[in-house]
Amino acid sequence: MNKSELIKTLAERKGLHVDESAKIVGAFMDAIKEALLQGDRVEIRGFGSFKLKSYKGYQGRNPKTGDMVEVQPKNLPFFRPGKELKEYINS
Amino acid sequence: MSSRTLTKAGIVDYIYEKTNKNRAEIKELVETTLDIMKEAIKKDHALLVSGFGKFEAYDKRARKGRNPQTNQTITLPPRKVVVFRLSRKFRAELNPLE
Repeated sequence: MNKSELIKTLAERKGLHVDESAKIVGAFMDAIKEALLQGDRVEIRGFGSFKLKSYKGYQGRNPKTGDMVEVQPKNLPFFRPGKELKEYINS
Repeated sequence: MSSRTLTKAGIVDYIYEKTNKNRAEIKELVETTLDIMKEAIKKDHALLVSGFGKFEAYDKRARKGRNPQTNQTITLPPRKVVVFRLSRKFRAELNPLE
């Protein structure tokens, strides 16, 4: 499923206009993104949590050519599925 | 780094500021959205949210494990796990200098 199908399904299930549904889904994703961009944690009961991890830069090598490369520091979010989601997926 | 946590209530407030619906309605829409997301991850094994990322469910095979406390060997059953893969766009937003 992709985002537009998610929007369509929400609209059908709740009797909303697709534009309205798109606003809700868009704002939902934006809320999570903005929190992570500020370095905040996100915890959605029953679904899972997101946490930003910061990685320091390091000197690496291109495994194909052996050339030295400078790997820049980076921030990457990590998702931990919640208990309910894990159980649901496996049921 | 801050130690704030965004929860469902915070997400509802955020959406409330951007729409003309009341909080109760939004709460219900958020719950339904999460239900649909869970169903999609289970049924399609993937949920793709452009500009954000992709949730994927994949199969893990059964493997031998060990209870570290009793040293007993046990067989861990095959199971599905969910992973989140970051979209390139969101990765760039998180790492503007890259």
